[in-house]
Parts: sequence; C-alpha cells; structure tokens
Amino acid sequence: MSNRSITCPEYKARLNTAANLLDTMKTQIRQGVLKKRNLVWLELTGCSGNIISLLDGSNPDFKYLISQMTNFIYNNSLSASEGEVAMEQLFSVLGSDYILAVEGAVTTKNNGLYNIIGRLNGKLVTAIEAVKTLGEKAAFVIAIGACATHGGVSAARPNPAECVSVQSVLNRKVIKLPGCPCHPDWFMGTLAHILLYGEPDLDRRDRPLLFYSTLIHDRCPRRSYFDKGIFAEKLGDKTCMFKLGCRGPVTRIDCPIRQWNQYVNWPIEDDTPCIGCAQFGFPDAMEPFISYNTTREVRR
Amino acid sequence: MRAQDLSGISFDSIIAEVNYDINLLYVVPCVYTRNMILNHLRDRISMVESVTKAIIQPGQLQPQPLPLQPGVTPIAEPPALQQPTTPGNQTTFTLQELSKYDGKGGNPAYVTVNGTVYDVTSNATWAAATHFGLTAGKDLSNEFVSCHAGESILSKLKVVGKLV
Repeated sequence: MSNRSITCPEYKARLNTAANLLDTMKTQIRQGVLKKRNLVWLELTGCSGNIISLLDGSNPDFKYLISQMTNFIYNNSLSASEGEVAMEQLFSVLGSDYILAVEGAVTTKNNGLYNIIGRLNGKLVTAIEAVKTLGEKAAFVIAIGACATHGGVSAARPNPAECVSVQSVLNRKVIKLPGCPCHPDWFMGTLAHILLYGEPDLDRRDRPLLFYSTLIHDRCPRRSYFDKGIFAEKLGDKTCMFKLGCRGPVTRIDCPIRQWNQYVNWPIEDDTPCIGCAQFGFPDAMEPFISYNTTREVRR
Repeated sequence: MRAQDLSGISFDSIIAEVNYDINLLYVVPCVYTRNMILNHLRDRISMVESVTKAIIQPGQLQPQPLPLQPGVTPIAEPPALQQPTTPGNQTTFTLQELSKYDGKGGNPAYVTVNGTVYDVTSNATWAAATHFGLTAGKDLSNEFVSCHAGESILSKLKVVGKLV
C-alpha cells in the first residue's frame, strides 16, 4: 500500500481505516447483504478538484464506486447525458433515498445568479436552488473539499460572488470533509461507513474522527526537529518548517500517514510546508503560505 | 555583610575571575586541578550572592546605590539586577511598543489578551508569527474570546509583561 514499510501498529491502523471499511463493504456487497444507494454529486462554485481527486482514488477506484457501491445518478462533469435531460436525471432522485455529495461553495449574490447549473422545464436553475432542494430531502449530505465545507478558495477575499459553505444554506446536519482537494480515502471511507453503519462519529465541526482526529504536527516525521528547535531556513531543508510558516500545528488530518497520489508522498516529505488546506478558513486564514523573515533567535 | 563593607570590591574583577575559571575548566585535563578551579568558582559565586543580598534589603525592589568613599571607584551593579523587571512580569508595554514585537527580523512575537502580554515566538500554532490570519504585536483580546472562550490555553504561554 505504501512505499514505506510501516511498523508502528497505530500508523498501520490509521492508514487502514478506509481500507478496512471498504473491505468489509466489498464483502457484504459480494454476499448481497448490502444494498446500493443512490449517489448524487453536485458541483457548485469550485474548480472540480475534488472529483478529479476522487478519480485518482485506488482503494477502491472510481469505477467500483459507480458500479458496485452506488447508483451514481449525476455529476455535471461525468454524466453521459447533457442539457435538460441531465437536469431531469438530477431532479429525478427527489422522492427516493439518496446521498448528496456536494463540492464547491454556494454563491449567494443576486440570489445565486452567478452560478447557473442548468435549465429545467425552460427555467434557469441556480446552484443555491439545487443544493437547497436536494439538500433538504437527502438521507445524508456530505460537503467535500474546502469550498463546500467552509467557502474555501471560492469565498476568499474579496469574495465577489459572496460564496458561502453548504452548511450556511442548509438547516440540517452536513458531514464535512475539508481539504483542497479532499483525499479519495476520506470520501470513500466516509461513504463506506454510511453504507455499512450509518453516520460516522464526527467532531464538533462535523468532520469524521476516522480521518480528522489528529494534528499533522503530532504525526509529522519532522516533529523531533521542532521539539529541539532546529528549523529549516529555506525550502529544501530537511528540518522543521515551522519558521517558514508550516500550518501542520493547526491542521487536523492524517496526511503524514495516508499520503497522496495512491499513498506515495505528501507536502512535508517533499519539503513544502503544510498550507493548512484541510483546516477551516483556508486559504485566507492560513496565509502567508511562506515567510522568510521570521525571528529565529531573539535579540537580547 | 553590610553594604558599606563592599565598597572596595569590584564586580568587574569578580566576573573576570569567574570567566577565567570557566575558560580554564574547558582546557585543564587534570581532575584535581579542575576541582580546585571549581572550588574557586564556587567561592566567587558565594561572594556575588552575599553582595547582592546586602544590596537588596528585604521588601525593596530597586537596588540601593552604595555610599561612596573618597578615592574609591564605584562598584558596578551586578549584571543580574540591571534588568529588574524581567523575572517578575513587571515589564509594561504600550500598544505602540507592543507593535514592534511582531516576530519578524529578530524581534520576538508578543500578543496581549486582557492586559497580559504573552510570548508566542515558539508556540507551534503561531508559525511565522501568524495564527489564523492574525499577526503578532497586537491586542487580540476580542479575537481570543471569539475562538477560545472557556479554554485554559493561556496558562501554557510565557508571560512577558502587562499592557498599559
């Protein structure tokens, strides 16, 4: 699974959180115990980064998601149907049991006129209308990525389209998977948990504890450098990047263990400070991403 | 020991002796010689201790100037007392003074919450002297309450003074 050999049982267990759930789910699907559920993936104001990230998933892959785990009803980038037919397909789920996944923020300026997702019965459908209509009736709503969970890049200053999070327009529980983008495992694991056991344990900001319980700083392979006060002076140094502005100490997610691109690497291993993309408030609250004039030794 | 009895002692020479002893300790290989030097060092330190005790009377925060006798060089103040405000959290800052402590270019990173000034230079959540869009060198009382009300996290920070 990983290019490193993992000997620590805690790390191994954490890395396998999603895999274990998905294996159980696969077994139950094979045995015919678990029924497929409808899944709608709505893309609002964003960059499609989360669906692209999901397409890169490997455990299981996207094909398994849409063929075995769920009836994949709609995604604006991937649906074969187009135009009004696609919109009819989207809204056909109303009245049935479905899980709603949302990526992208909700534009609110001028009643959401800045994001029209299609035309239904000759009328324009705004993103805010779609998310409200589909969100109220869904069995579960999962907000995926920074923009959907808290506004993210779409809501960054000066936020010309007045973007907000999905939660801001829905009066119900929204499971939040922040990250820019969301790791395929975070979504697949959460979805598998929903299919198997229902809603996973969430923290007070509705993030699944399975993935978001521990600070990057607390599992960072460079932590000992921080504790000894040995800090990188420039990108490329192999020590702690705290003085360059690393946001690992304020970001709760399992990147140091899970890693990216099918578990091969992650920013800090590649000498880039964590920019806190999985933390609420990203990107504005996580800036500056890099600083070179931070005080290292205090003048007396 | 009374303060008057100390007027002939030069602190500079004591410090010089101490430094000489320390330098010597680094290079002397013989364990007996090292013990002798350490003994001498301890003697100098106890002399410094008694002098400082005599200078600072109980209840007094400021060191008393020593009475000068004609023809005697005044004694230098002990270095530990030159910054009387450091250990007792007595340092005061105006908002303008605080703004210099922004954690950049060699300055430490200080912030104030409810009148107390804290050092966040080495605090993990203040990477590059910034924290969720906030910068050091400011009064962050309102921001603190809006995010950390009821949390006992301030006690973990080093107090460096008060805001006036």
